Amino acid sequence: MNTTPFLAPNNDSVYARQIAFIAAFLLPAAKFLETPSLLAKDAAGDILLPALLHFILQAGVLFALVYACSRSEKTLFERLNEWLGKGAGAVYILFALYYLFAAVLPLLDLEKFVYAAFYDTSPTTFSFAVFFVFSAFVCTRGLKTLGRVGDICLFLFVLPFSAILFMSLGEADFTHLLPVFGEQFGSTMSAFKHTSPHFSDAVLLLPFIGNLRYQKGDGTKIMAGYGVGAGITLIFLAVFFGIYSSIAPREHYAFSKIAQYFPALSVIGRADLIFVYLLTVVLLFTTCLPLHYSVDFVCRTVGTRRRALFSAVLNIGAFVFVFFNNKRYNAFYGVISGKLYLVFILVADILPLFCLLLPKKENKHA
Amino acid sequence: MSRIFFYPNAHAVFVNTLSNVLQKNLTQLKKLLPSEDILSYEFETADGVSCAVVYADGMVNKQLLGDLIARPISRLSLKNEGGMSANTLEIVQKATLFPELKKMNSLQDIVKEVLDGNSLLLVDGVKGGLIVGAKLLPVRAIMEPPTDIAVKGPREGFIEDIKTNMSLVRKRLKTPNLRFQSVRVGKQSDTLVEVCWLDGIVNEDVKSRVLEDLKRIQIDFTPDSSYISAFLAPRKHSIFHSIGKTEKPDIFAAKLCEGRVGVLVDGSPIALTLPFLLAEDLQSSEDYFISPFTATVFRFLRFFALFVALLLPAFYVSAQIFKIQLLPLGLTLTIASSIRELPLSPSLEMFVVLFLLEVLKEASIRMPKYVGMSLSVVGALVLGETAVSAGFLSTPAIIIVAFSGICLYTVPNFVETGSILRWIFLIAAGSIGPFGIVLLIAFLLCYLLSADAFGSPLLAPFSPLVAKDLRDTVVKYDLFSLKTRPKTLDSDNKTRLRLPRGNP
Repeated sequence: MNTTPFLAPNNDSVYARQIAFIAAFLLPAAKFLETPSLLAKDAAGDILLPALLHFILQAGVLFALVYACSRSEKTLFERLNEWLGKGAGAVYILFALYYLFAAVLPLLDLEKFVYAAFYDTSPTTFSFAVFFVFSAFVCTRGLKTLGRVGDICLFLFVLPFSAILFMSLGEADFTHLLPVFGEQFGSTMSAFKHTSPHFSDAVLLLPFIGNLRYQKGDGTKIMAGYGVGAGITLIFLAVFFGIYSSIAPREHYAFSKIAQYFPALSVIGRADLIFVYLLTVVLLFTTCLPLHYSVDFVCRTVGTRRRALFSAVLNIGAFVFVFFNNKRYNAFYGVISGKLYLVFILVADILPLFCLLLPKKENKHA
Repeated sequence: MSRIFFYPNAHAVFVNTLSNVLQKNLTQLKKLLPSEDILSYEFETADGVSCAVVYADGMVNKQLLGDLIARPISRLSLKNEGGMSANTLEIVQKATLFPELKKMNSLQDIVKEVLDGNSLLLVDGVKGGLIVGAKLLPVRAIMEPPTDIAVKGPREGFIEDIKTNMSLVRKRLKTPNLRFQSVRVGKQSDTLVEVCWLDGIVNEDVKSRVLEDLKRIQIDFTPDSSYISAFLAPRKHSIFHSIGKTEKPDIFAAKLCEGRVGVLVDGSPIALTLPFLLAEDLQSSEDYFISPFTATVFRFLRFFALFVALLLPAFYVSAQIFKIQLLPLGLTLTIASSIRELPLSPSLEMFVVLFLLEVLKEASIRMPKYVGMSLSVVGALVLGETAVSAGFLSTPAIIIVAFSGICLYTVPNFVETGSILRWIFLIAAGSIGPFGIVLLIAFLLCYLLSADAFGSPLLAPFSPLVAKDLRDTVVKYDLFSLKTRPKTLDSDNKTRLRLPRGNP
């Protein structure tokens, strides 16, 4: 097997623009599935508050990452390799494991969503199995390809999201969101806690920022991109609660049906589903992100660019997991978002802050 | 100096350069070119010096050769002009009335020239010969290419003769910057391939890579440019083409002006352009000769039609089997009544209709024109109508496949790829449903996003996003907005249009 030296720098170049698009269009897509009903369950009319808190926290972590990136001409990962030497491998493995763990809920969510939005009757599990073939293929591609996915998602996201929003806005009653702070603070915090796995955004941008060779203005682009993504999510949450109000906690995967009340659809059929399906393309890429990162970090540590083997192993494992556990969906949800949310706060929100400690200049002894 | 060279259909042959004895030279040439279509015509000058012309039968203009070469030389008195000396060839050259003459001594080069259709003039007592460019190859007339028809704009098309094609390009680009570089490809065919570019505008890296790749080609026979494109394509087994193809010199010249490299192949009317972007398939030469608003509407139409062509049969099948909500209630009832008592499942029915379409299409292309007419009657009326009335196929399925087929032809360069993709989408829809279609779209996107051809990403300028280049993709801006060359092609010279002061 052809191998490159240990911890060889990944030459997959990415641009700040692509990171901004990923933050703006890919990351919100994952929040349209189970997040709205989970937020509504605890926070009810204050659905926007825990989301806003998450975004502020994540923006802070993201800012720290971007700031750390801007302090040197070298990429964050290059500096990490120089600073820790072979020890950096442990950090990569830790993050690879985290991404695997973080992929569990999105995978289970996606499976349930696919069954709900794409089939009238209940399909076999193997209908979803092909997703892992796609995921395995995505995992073999470099970060450069994922960066380009960010670019193309500008077109794939904006058109269907605008159409769905346009079709659903008329049905939304925004007075349901009033009064602000109408719920107890404890409920807001409970919603915040339970949705932590869904809002760990900064760490999902870490592999990109880690490979970014910072140029002037990149920070603004990335932060603006994240701001747009946050805005899109908040608008969607507002429309969602505006339509469903008190029954919102029971409306799972609402984005596939949020526009179905648009009057013209009674004549032309469920044309809104075309837009939902287009948005699903974006969602598929978003779901692949943690799996891709996991493969990427393992390959980075082992020092190989032949990702096919790792990608195949990981995706077969993920398929087996989903195949045997899709009936235990609620149990997984309870454990991960109810008890293990601290893992997300620790690895996704606190650990990346350590990159601020990375030395500015090259460590000659490394 | 003796040299060894390998001659097609021969073993290693030891040859010298031409000697000064005519008969010895003719014998040598006969050994090297034993084929019966290689002829020699011998004649004498006025003072009895023997001369000969060696040529390949059917490839030279004999009248030209007689009037402008043999006749003037036969009136010449070489011995009176100063005897047989080193400058005899110059005297002969001056006496002829033909402009395209080249001195040559190496037998290896002479053999190549004769096989290429040129003639060799030999004079007894003179070492070396004159290559006469009196080639007359059978070529067809320049006409509008059938694959690239435009209602407005130039109608000339490339033909199989490379020299004519080069002149068609030169006619449009009268600049010293237009450069041609020849490469010979094919061990047996020795096909002439001309790489052309505009100096100062082309990306030098792309040009060098194309030339290097061409020189590395090891193949016996190169009948068409598609052979060359197969070697140049970065992904050899992809169903998506990654090399641009055109039959029109105006498009070819325009692409050179954008900074691309062009490749002309002798014997092929289809020229290649590199690097290629997938968005080029949506463009038509006519877009540049009509109003930009109309062009934009047409491009959107093609874009939309392409998606309809690829996805409509698949969505129809998946809606029937997996997600009936996709269809409006009225249409659902119509379909329900037409598929009632149908013996085939929706996917199998669509498969049969699509198969019929492909067979009819293939047969109508290959059939002689007069049979083609009756074929379309049999195909459309007899097969379609009877199949529906016999309850074998449903009317909606036939309408959908027919519409999909028509839509695909709005993007002629994508027809081959589109036909294959339509099958794949149908299989995905019939087995996995709408999720299969969505997954396949995502898969194809990821596949295309990771594809680069000669340094340019296939999906550019959509991804990587180059905002300025979007002005000539699905949307067509007016001429004055396209001041710079496409950034994606990374040309050394960025500006292509300068407006005088005061203009918008």
